Amino acid sequence: MEKHLDSVPDHEVSREEITSVMTALEPDQLIFAKEHHHCPRRQLTATEMILFWALRIYLVFMVGVVVYQIWTGVR
Amino acid sequence: MKKRNTASESGGETAFRSVTLGDPESNSQPPPPDRVVITHEDIDRAHDREQVSATRARRGFRPRLRLFWLLIGPGILVMLGENDGPSMLSYAATGARFGVGFFVPFVVLTFLMACVVQEMTVRLGAATHRGHAELIFDRFGPFWGWFSMIDLMVGNFLTLVTEFIAIRAGLGFFGVRPAVAVLGALLVLSVALMTHRYWTWERIILGAATFNLVFVPVALLAHPHWHEVAHSLLTWKPLPGGLTQETVLILLANIGATVTPWMLFFQQSAIADKGLTTHDIRMGRVDTALGAALATVAALATMLATAPLFLHHMSAANFEAAEFAQALQPFVGHWGAALFALGIFEAGMVAAITISTSSAYAFGEVARRPHSLNLPFKQGKAFYLVLLLEAAAAGGLVLIPGIPLVYIVLLVNVIAVLAMPPALLFLYMLVNDREIMGDLVSPLWANVLALGVVIILIAAGLLFGLSVIAPNALAVIGAK
Repeated sequence: MEKHLDSVPDHEVSREEITSVMTALEPDQLIFAKEHHHCPRRQLTATEMILFWALRIYLVFMVGVVVYQIWTGVR
Repeated sequence: MKKRNTASESGGETAFRSVTLGDPESNSQPPPPDRVVITHEDIDRAHDREQVSATRARRGFRPRLRLFWLLIGPGILVMLGENDGPSMLSYAATGARFGVGFFVPFVVLTFLMACVVQEMTVRLGAATHRGHAELIFDRFGPFWGWFSMIDLMVGNFLTLVTEFIAIRAGLGFFGVRPAVAVLGALLVLSVALMTHRYWTWERIILGAATFNLVFVPVALLAHPHWHEVAHSLLTWKPLPGGLTQETVLILLANIGATVTPWMLFFQQSAIADKGLTTHDIRMGRVDTALGAALATVAALATMLATAPLFLHHMSAANFEAAEFAQALQPFVGHWGAALFALGIFEAGMVAAITISTSSAYAFGEVARRPHSLNLPFKQGKAFYLVLLLEAAAAGGLVLIPGIPLVYIVLLVNVIAVLAMPPALLFLYMLVNDREIMGDLVSPLWANVLALGVVIILIAAGLLFGLSVIAPNALAVIGAK
């Protein structure tokens, strides 16, 4: 079965276009590079994890406050 | 399997040949390292970059001006895009409730905060060429990535609903029926996408965004007391009436009118889509600062335009856009009122386009689908469908009779402020990540400012929580 790259042009690429792309764009700007090379995952430190969770809990709590305000407002 | 032209570089020379490709979306069989697939998107972006390089190589004032013209866009769009329907209504309500005073310098401060935050996305986008959602998923993993996406998508959808409320209300002043207003806005949004070129799309939306400044002539028609405006800017009068539930809500609404999560996602993705590189960071900063300055002028003009309502003791507590325009008519005349309504429509329209685009970028980055405004519809189907469907759903919701629109407007800016600290933590960590930023990591002064913004946002959120849960406690903190 034939497989397609979604972002591939529907016309043949000319030499001029290829030269233009290779000179004007940085290597990691190419869609091909973006699709095949991803930034490696980093390990979070304990402090970072605590910060992430603290802000997540803050957000959930504050959304609860907003819901409470709407509920009391409607009543 | 499909054959197509590719280029490969070896020994400093570019060689061209035709090769057989596998499925690029599968990483199971990585392509040979010396081969590069050229896409439609790459060609369009390269064309834009060639113009930038050619202009940069020339000297003189005119080439500099042209370079500025070529590189501006994401910063102005994000700042004027954030001057959206609920934001302009918040400024209008502030002017009508408090007149000229504490909130004039406060709005300037919030835009300075927005500058600090958005400058980080400029550096991040130019250094990595990646969108914000993609970087969060790659660096922090899907667990935290999905949290961030849920925050963005919920916030964006609610905000989009309010944009359509603004569109409906703004056009309502001219007697346009709600269904016609919503369908017309969806049509404009679709037409803007039909260019299939980031550059053309950006210029169209930039042109539309400058109409945000229609609030300036309305302010002039209201004959503000310039001496009082200058005095309040320089002296920063105290919060009128002290801390009350109402003032805290207005405070939060004004912060939420300038600093929101979608701005981070939009500007970084737009910078990657535009193809900006590290050489363009300086101009990216100018673009952001100029956008902030224009947005500040429009915001202050809106407050000054509605200040006569405060001076004449007219209650505007439950006003919507059209009612503001009608109430202003005795002070700014019919044309002034019409410009005000037009400004509200424009604010909603531009923001509907930029916010739905930010959702589509984020979706494409996370789902690993093509995501660019340079894509033809066929190749960027998922990207365009997400954009259009989200806008259509938000527009449809506004047409449901009896839906509490005022509550939704109230909610949106508050939720934006509450969702900002977690979003800023991701940004702060990414922009200080030497592995992806190299020498472009944030300097100390930028980190101090960013932490200051986070502290202000958390404090504002907690103050809001306190005002809801224990309103009497506000009296202890600072009520007169």
